[in-house]
Amino acid sequence: MDIAFILVNAVTVAAIYGLIAVAVSITWSSLGLVNLAYGFVYSFAGYAAWLVATHVARPYIDPSLQPLAVAAAGIIAGAIGGVIVCLIVFIPLHVKPGFTTRGMIATLAISLIGSQVFLMAFGPTAKSLPELFGRWRFKFFGINLTSDKIGIVVCSLVMLAVVVMWMRSSRRGLEIRAMMMNPHAASIVGIGIRRTGIYVMGLTGAMAGLAAVLLSQTYYIAPFSGLTPLIKGVSIALCGGLGSVQGAVIAAILLGLIEALTNKFLGGQYVLMTQFLFIILVLIVRPRGIAGLLDKAREQ
Amino acid sequence: MTETTTPGSPSPTKYIWKNPLAAWGTSAGNDEAESIIVPDPSIPWHQNTGFKIKTFPVGRLKYFAIWPAHGSKTWDRTRWWPTRRNLLNIKGLYNRKSAVAEKKIVDRRPIYWVICLIVLALGPMIFPENRMNALLTAGATFGVFAAINVCWTLILGTASIFSLATYAVVGTAAFVTSFLSIQYGVPWYFLMPIGAIVGLIFGVLIAVPALRLDGFYYALLTLGLNELFRVFFTTSKQFGAASGGLYGADSFISQAWDPLTQSVVSYYSAFCILLGSLFLFRFINGKQLGRVLRLAPEKREAFAAACGVDYKRARITIFLATSVALGFIGGFYTAQYRGVAYAIFDFQTVLLGLAMVTIGGIGRAEGAVLGTLVVVFLRDVLIEFGPWRYLIIGGAMLGVVLFLNNGYFGIRKQFNAWRAKKRGEWRSTRAEKGGETLPEEATEIDDKDVIYFRRHDKMQRDYLKTLVTPEIIEEHRGQPLGQHSEALERVLLYFRRAKLEDKYALRSAGPHGPYKIIAFSGVRGVSPRLVDDREFVSLDEAYHGVFMRRVHDLLES
Repeated sequence: MDIAFILVNAVTVAAIYGLIAVAVSITWSSLGLVNLAYGFVYSFAGYAAWLVATHVARPYIDPSLQPLAVAAAGIIAGAIGGVIVCLIVFIPLHVKPGFTTRGMIATLAISLIGSQVFLMAFGPTAKSLPELFGRWRFKFFGINLTSDKIGIVVCSLVMLAVVVMWMRSSRRGLEIRAMMMNPHAASIVGIGIRRTGIYVMGLTGAMAGLAAVLLSQTYYIAPFSGLTPLIKGVSIALCGGLGSVQGAVIAAILLGLIEALTNKFLGGQYVLMTQFLFIILVLIVRPRGIAGLLDKAREQ
Repeated sequence: MTETTTPGSPSPTKYIWKNPLAAWGTSAGNDEAESIIVPDPSIPWHQNTGFKIKTFPVGRLKYFAIWPAHGSKTWDRTRWWPTRRNLLNIKGLYNRKSAVAEKKIVDRRPIYWVICLIVLALGPMIFPENRMNALLTAGATFGVFAAINVCWTLILGTASIFSLATYAVVGTAAFVTSFLSIQYGVPWYFLMPIGAIVGLIFGVLIAVPALRLDGFYYALLTLGLNELFRVFFTTSKQFGAASGGLYGADSFISQAWDPLTQSVVSYYSAFCILLGSLFLFRFINGKQLGRVLRLAPEKREAFAAACGVDYKRARITIFLATSVALGFIGGFYTAQYRGVAYAIFDFQTVLLGLAMVTIGGIGRAEGAVLGTLVVVFLRDVLIEFGPWRYLIIGGAMLGVVLFLNNGYFGIRKQFNAWRAKKRGEWRSTRAEKGGETLPEEATEIDDKDVIYFRRHDKMQRDYLKTLVTPEIIEEHRGQPLGQHSEALERVLLYFRRAKLEDKYALRSAGPHGPYKIIAFSGVRGVSPRLVDDREFVSLDEAYHGVFMRRVHDLLES
């Protein structure tokens, strides 16, 4: 196998998982909620995109605009899924004792219910989305880059950039960053915790929705397909340090590299092992992840 | 004492009051005095004793069974051999009303445990004939899963470490023992010790990060470990069979037996493993290790360390102990089911396990067992519900997390807290001011006379306040001693009957004054205090000064 090919693959997958990692990270640091329902949001967005692709886009929309419509459907459905999780879990629970544990169990319960609902509604067969980026390829320093890989990386980077810009420059972003720094002080100066929760969950849900659309270029959408992206995203977020976007990006790149190297030298079945050994080593050395600081981490 | 008018009196507001006590003599020689009309004292009585507001039952519900016992019997206690613990935690007490010796069982959980375990043990005799096989199979599953969850509760509740790798430990031990049994023909009675050794190794693996990580970092890491083991076992060549699991291990259940006998044997063996795990729970949670771990939950390690607790050692011990137990259960699982399926590593299994632990209440053995019973019953017995079973389980889990603070067995505490809150709210709407007793306070006062005294005193003061008029003050100023009108006499009688504590008196500086007002301390040996520096020249003036002070106090109260 070609090392460059593997590397490109690793970067592509890391870009998608990085999106979920950043979503997990932002949710934890601003709301204090370990959202393990991103698997549900992922499948929700994937199925919504599939529904739009088969029932709306194909019969009614011009073929050149179809990919845009499908991606938009995925992102919007992801945002809606995130808000649903927020309404069910965050808003009733955030004032109750043991919020973090209960929030985590509640999001797990949502993923249990969600996967069964998808199984009942769509059956166990996997669905595939149409190709969004066409079928062209491109040679770059002798490396074959296919359209979907370039599209995936570019889309995730654009989404990440938009999110970071929005967090940096908008009023809502300022509110979210204030919540990250000190939730109590933020609520004292008039930043509504519930309202901010809805923004955050909508935003991070949209990221998970985009990840669903992008990843379905490679894999399929199935009732339980949200699990792997969730686990990968959570591992990257852990390794990078919950609450840190930069840390998540660094961790995504490092884990992608490890995946590529393991594939090259050891074999595909050892990928998870080496990744987890790496994560465990990182966490033993730095318990709050690569970019996390022990004292500044959110305590609740 | 109220006469509307005296015949011949010009004014209807005044009448001549004859003192009935004047036969014994009065200081001024008069046995009657002109008096203003005094209101009927029965009016405030009826006003105060009539119920004007809605009343609620107050006080403590007696929800403990109180057993009659002779006083000496409360000390007659049987002990669990060979420990020095009593069979039941019994408290001897005396009935407040009848003063009869009684005894109360403070902790009734052992009784419920025994009843439930007897029901489980008699299960195969109670199950309906037509569903016998399904129920026995579900019962065996329940036993094994309840044992796993009880061990998990030790980590989740006692050590309060959110580990999600429990099923990974069981699964790994089960896979390794299945593999050994299939490949090398290891007999079934070696599978459990081998499983325990595998569990020990696994325990070391997951205990090391637990020392550095806390809370959700550890939860997410163990979730990842679970996924890692799933991928490893489903993709590896040695364990990767096409049948979705590894089957064909040696078992203690002979396939030559009658199917019903096989089911019954597997039911009772699972029951035994459940009993074993409950004993383990009892011996860890109820003894030194459990107490040490409950002293040192997350974020309070520094406090525990300051108390001299080696919490790191305790955590490693509990991880190793539960991992050994879980590995043992894994080996048992192989020996019972002749192998193991990959499904044990599924995320779904972890979720269902978490549902089992959550529904009953995290941190209690009874919670883990009840939750397992509910989930296994829904999943394995109500098969005709189809996918709805999982929706019900997920809904129950979500509902418990959203509305209950600690699962089913936390309901009582949560309800009591809610009731106390509501009680406070109701009480604040009902409270009347003025020295009276609050209804809830009244139930806590043993001497009920105190309550009646306070109530009567308040009524009397309310009534006497209406009698204090400029006329009686003027009357007292003119003649402090001797026969007075009815209103003044009533007020003075009340003043004379006051408690000795803070009762006013006069102190004379010489044989004929001047006088100063003092107040008694009410305590023997403590001298009276001087109330103020005002001096009265004559005794009558001083009497009136004391009277004015008392009137002032009455109107203030």
